[in-house]
Amino acid sequence: MLKYILRRILELIPTLIGISLISFIMIHIVPGNPVRILLGNRYTVARAAALTKQLGLNKPLWQQFLIWLWNILHGNFGYSYVYDKPVVKLVLQAIPHTLVIVVVSVMFAHIFAVFLGAVQAYFQDTIFDQVVTVINYFFYSMPSFWLAILLIIFFAIDLPWFPSGGIVNPQATNPSFADFLHHLVLPVASLFLVSVAGWARFMRSSMREALLQDYVRTARMKGAREFRVLFIHALRNSIIPLITLLGLSLPALLSGALFVEEIFNYPGMGLLYWNAIMSRDYPIIMGVTFFLGVVTILGNLLSDVLYAVIDPRIQYQ
Amino acid sequence: MANSVLNVESLNVEFNMEGNYFHAVRDVSFKIEPGETLGLVGESGCGKSVTSLALVRLLTQSARVTGKIEYQGKNLLDLPERDMRDIRGNEISMIFQEPMTSLNPVYKIGAQISETLLLHKDISPREAFQQSLEMLKKVGIPRPEDIMDEYPHQLSGGMRQRIMIAIAMACNPKLLIADEPTTALDVTIQAQILELMKGISKDLGTSILLITHDLGVVAEMCDRVAVMYAGQIVEQGSVDDIFFNPQHPYTRGLLNAIPKIDAEQKQRLQPIEGNVPPITRMPKGCRFSPRCMHASDRCRAQQPGFFQVDNAEHLSRCWLNEAKEA
Repeated sequence: MLKYILRRILELIPTLIGISLISFIMIHIVPGNPVRILLGNRYTVARAAALTKQLGLNKPLWQQFLIWLWNILHGNFGYSYVYDKPVVKLVLQAIPHTLVIVVVSVMFAHIFAVFLGAVQAYFQDTIFDQVVTVINYFFYSMPSFWLAILLIIFFAIDLPWFPSGGIVNPQATNPSFADFLHHLVLPVASLFLVSVAGWARFMRSSMREALLQDYVRTARMKGAREFRVLFIHALRNSIIPLITLLGLSLPALLSGALFVEEIFNYPGMGLLYWNAIMSRDYPIIMGVTFFLGVVTILGNLLSDVLYAVIDPRIQYQ
Repeated sequence: MANSVLNVESLNVEFNMEGNYFHAVRDVSFKIEPGETLGLVGESGCGKSVTSLALVRLLTQSARVTGKIEYQGKNLLDLPERDMRDIRGNEISMIFQEPMTSLNPVYKIGAQISETLLLHKDISPREAFQQSLEMLKKVGIPRPEDIMDEYPHQLSGGMRQRIMIAIAMACNPKLLIADEPTTALDVTIQAQILELMKGISKDLGTSILLITHDLGVVAEMCDRVAVMYAGQIVEQGSVDDIFFNPQHPYTRGLLNAIPKIDAEQKQRLQPIEGNVPPITRMPKGCRFSPRCMHASDRCRAQQPGFFQVDNAEHLSRCWLNEAKEA
């Protein structure tokens, strides 16, 4: 198992080089120029030429890429053009905020979706199931940014229960943890609602299939209660496909957090990425992309490892 | 007889198909005496498995079950689900045709056997584990200590069926329902499993309802036989009655369809022509009449009841037996 994990981590290297190369090409295909944005209305041709040279943007692209790669190998992700701070430092500042939103919403969404999907499958085709299905589709088809805006309108403006953005009250000198949680509610709720819907659908169909299996009949034959049949015997089997989804959804949620962070002005990775793209801050774009690549691959690895934990038939060499 | 283990009287099972109810099992009655093995025989699709699942009330919601299933003075069909759960796995147990899929793939063997004990007996997990280990030894599993700690996918089909038997017998039930327990297994393994069931039923005095389409298995295992066709029992009697003095044309047909090792080289097997009718299109008179070479107009118009053959236990649902009875 350990050997397997190690091998998977080594596989990271070529994948990451590939990801970096593609995103490097992409940001240079996109029109726009960081020098123009940085100089703004102080723009002159001479200043632009000087800054271009200073940032190393006058070199051929392949050289720029190799320099970037070489620096990465030395742990140097470069400096942000806009903030004039090391990329690593900016990313490390932003990660905790994103992780809080994503981890909390993923955790709640997963637990709730598993429960909801299981119960729906058990009561399949009843009124309950149909009503929940309609509600699920409603949230499933709703883009997270749109949902976030609706939540702000309903629960921050019409009903001023929650703040509409930020992490803590900016006026507070010594913000409390409760204040922090208060600011967390709406962003987490928007990610939660959007992810629950899809996962519950998935869980429902997986559970439906599990409930038809022979071992479920065996469990009933033993005299087990329906609760036990559903949550002990069928659940653990039907949750296996959902684990893939968990691993794959980690990067998707980080990018989902991108819009949500932008709307709630939540200073996480998403907002950092967003602003960097807007100002063509190449080092940050490359650094965050690199980081997302790592998360994607680790997410896959995590789900593969969880597979083996839950399903004894799966073994890795 | 008042002391039968199970007394089934005019059991009907109907399935709801697009608003209409159709009989899958019609007016089935039989008794199972203590320690006895009753064989329920018939072609695929004649209602054997439906009958067995109806006995323990494990049919889907769309099935309507009526009649009487008397167990220890109670009609199982009237019991609340809670009391039925106490009986399942404890007093009436069941093993199934598919040992490969009947065990839960994500739990260890030990846990799956102990579960039955823990559900029904007031014992500690440790005691349940010990008793499960004893059961494994009883069903002839080699290295029982190791197997307790293994998962179903590590075992062969025969081994898994042994585990299923261990689960079913863990609480020492009065009745074991075995629904085609050896159909999915190799012939040599079949013999071992049958031998095991026979031994256990003898040691513990368990009655067995053995559902099979294999008359060889019946001859090997059963004391009495009920032959089912199209949801009805058509002939019932002791093993000797059925094998040496079969009355119903369907029973005879089944017996003729068995290959015999001492038959002459050129002799062909005689299959029964045609198939079991689907439950949506049952013939009006005797249900076997469309496939029966003795069928008369009366057979096609009117359903026969049971007629006694040579002794009180031997019954046949065929007009041809009417004359003999009189």
